[in-house]
Amino acid sequence: MGGSDNRWVGLAYVAPYVVGLLIFTAIPFGASFYLSFTDYPLLRDPIWIGLQNYIELIFHDRTFHRALQVTLTYVFITVPLKLTFALLIAYVLNYKLKAIGFFRTAYYVPSILGGSVAIAVLWRYIFADIGLVNMIITGLGFEAINFFGDPRYALFTITLLRVWQFGSAMVIFLAALQSIPAHVYEAAAIDGANKAQTFFYITLPLITPVIFFNLILQMVEAFQEFNGPFIITDGTGAPLRSTYLVPLYIYDKAFRQFDMGYASAIAWILFAIIMVLTVVAFWSSRHWVYYAGDKRS
Amino acid sequence: MKNTVTMGTTLALMLTTALGSAQAADLRVSWWGGDARHAATQEALQICGDKHGHNINPEFTGFDGHLERLTTQLAGRTSPDLMQVNWPWLPLFSPDGTGLADLNEFSDIIDLSQWDATLLESGMRNGALNGLPVSITGRVLFYNADTFSEAGVEPPATWEDMIAAAETFKSELGDAYYPFSASRYNAMLLVALYATQKTGVGFIDPETNEIAWDEATLVDAINFYQSLVDAGVMKSWEQDAAMGNPGLHERGDWASGEIGSSYEWDTTVSQIAGPWGADHPLVPVMAPRIDGAVSDGIFRKPSMMFAISASSPNQEAAAEILNCLMVEDEGVRVMASHRGIPAAASAVALLEAEGLIDANVKAANDLVLAADTPPASPYFEDPAVRTAFEGVLEEFAYGLMSAEDAAREIMRGTEQALRRVQ
Repeated sequence: MGGSDNRWVGLAYVAPYVVGLLIFTAIPFGASFYLSFTDYPLLRDPIWIGLQNYIELIFHDRTFHRALQVTLTYVFITVPLKLTFALLIAYVLNYKLKAIGFFRTAYYVPSILGGSVAIAVLWRYIFADIGLVNMIITGLGFEAINFFGDPRYALFTITLLRVWQFGSAMVIFLAALQSIPAHVYEAAAIDGANKAQTFFYITLPLITPVIFFNLILQMVEAFQEFNGPFIITDGTGAPLRSTYLVPLYIYDKAFRQFDMGYASAIAWILFAIIMVLTVVAFWSSRHWVYYAGDKRS
Repeated sequence: MKNTVTMGTTLALMLTTALGSAQAADLRVSWWGGDARHAATQEALQICGDKHGHNINPEFTGFDGHLERLTTQLAGRTSPDLMQVNWPWLPLFSPDGTGLADLNEFSDIIDLSQWDATLLESGMRNGALNGLPVSITGRVLFYNADTFSEAGVEPPATWEDMIAAAETFKSELGDAYYPFSASRYNAMLLVALYATQKTGVGFIDPETNEIAWDEATLVDAINFYQSLVDAGVMKSWEQDAAMGNPGLHERGDWASGEIGSSYEWDTTVSQIAGPWGADHPLVPVMAPRIDGAVSDGIFRKPSMMFAISASSPNQEAAAEILNCLMVEDEGVRVMASHRGIPAAASAVALLEAEGLIDANVKAANDLVLAADTPPASPYFEDPAVRTAFEGVLEEFAYGLMSAEDAAREIMRGTEQALRRVQ
């Protein structure tokens, strides 16, 4: 009797999560898969069109091909840069410095503010032709750079916005660095290892599980980036779609052109790409991620 | 006996009142706009709500994102009872006339006789009156009188004048000065202005909903855009983008007077005059004409409309508020010309009699109404048509495409977009 009561109590506890999961994730997930095979103009009923959306996307849609190319470039530049930067700062903040608590907080702040509309607007002013960055560049005697008008530089501005939000990755790295036992470093020091050798042969291998975790997390987030480029470019991905990431295209198709079926198909292709890259990352992790008790040499 | 008569009379009066007006209702009303419009509309809704006994929850935003928000609400059947919609959105929201309430059904509440029949026609979809036009709007040239006077140049009546002004601006004021500005959507409107002046018809024929220009006309219009950039009349698309795509009123070169003029909606004067405040130097004039123009060619259309949700359980109450805002003295006085010069005849009469019409808005609107220009199609501003037009024009502006290829690509993209939305 008591066991049965406990079961109901347990189910009652998990019910809010399960209901939320069904309503806000599982059902929309399934629905979007169905809609990806339809022509659904949002304000009219969906019409089944089979694989037509996918065929158009994969073989004919130049805008999608361009957006995918921009997104892949963005992800492959942003993720390594952000991880490197986060690890570097975490490494510095792992030292017992004066007012270290203040520095740790200060470096985390951009992560809290980074995804906000206000910061994206601020970014627009910082990189404008008469913005702060160009004031510094021209002050040093160089030509001003057209960050928003020149397709060669526009992606750089939104990349930098993402790299600037390194706080969450940094905190995870910091926790990993602090979990490395001091005696390992002491042994390395006795063996005569210098700072660089200690970092590359002791620190890095020991935190590879965390690097791997951060890599997956940051890659998935980068593929879904929307706020920054949307606000900075006024939703256009300008200039010449050089900042037009796939999530912007999904938004345009779904809410500006009311082609919800097509937008769902793009979302599923993006999902498939993320899945494939995640599987590749997991497969590759066997060769470079070391867990406790690992017998590999 | 006396009591019975009194009670009977009271009951009869109550019944009459109840039949003549909607039950007290909780209403949601949405719109977009700037601060001045927000303040005026909230005040008017308070007054109208009190007058008709309804409780009103206002929902207001800026223009950006409003279409997306409203579309999602309509799809989810959670749209506000009464909403401000843009004219080009009517075909999207109500392709067959059933997506929004038919306001003809409330003709006993809304005094539709105050609207011109042609104007009412613009709010019809498949025989149903889905939107009630608030005003007529159009594009005019706002020029900075201080800058033009400093350069010693008269406001340009033709594009030849504008090109001549560019030379004088550079020699008298400096290389940073340009007599005109147009990129992104304004560049698209500039191309349309040229072709409409040349042919006397708009890009999309409102009767057939098909492209009305031939490819050669579009090639000429695109080359015209480039000729203005080459002559130093305006900055290139790339130079404009360097500022980070802010609104005209947020641009440093506009506020400093380095930009001499812009082709803008007549109703936006208070917004684009923001850097100067009430004592601004902006003067509205008709858009310059090309040599051999057969029309003024400006883009004129019914402005925003008010519509009632098809799924609203309080449609009569919403109709009462709509009538109060647009026809009844209490509402009209407060709404004034915050949405342009009202389309309802009684509203204009009242505002003129009481001196409540902003002189700047009136001057610009008079130009719009007086213009000789063909009727516009709501599909011209359809998001898919705009994407097809603007995107290709940007590639041309960056030198990635010839005018011929750009024209062909715009035609193809627009035809594709029109096929889908109709």
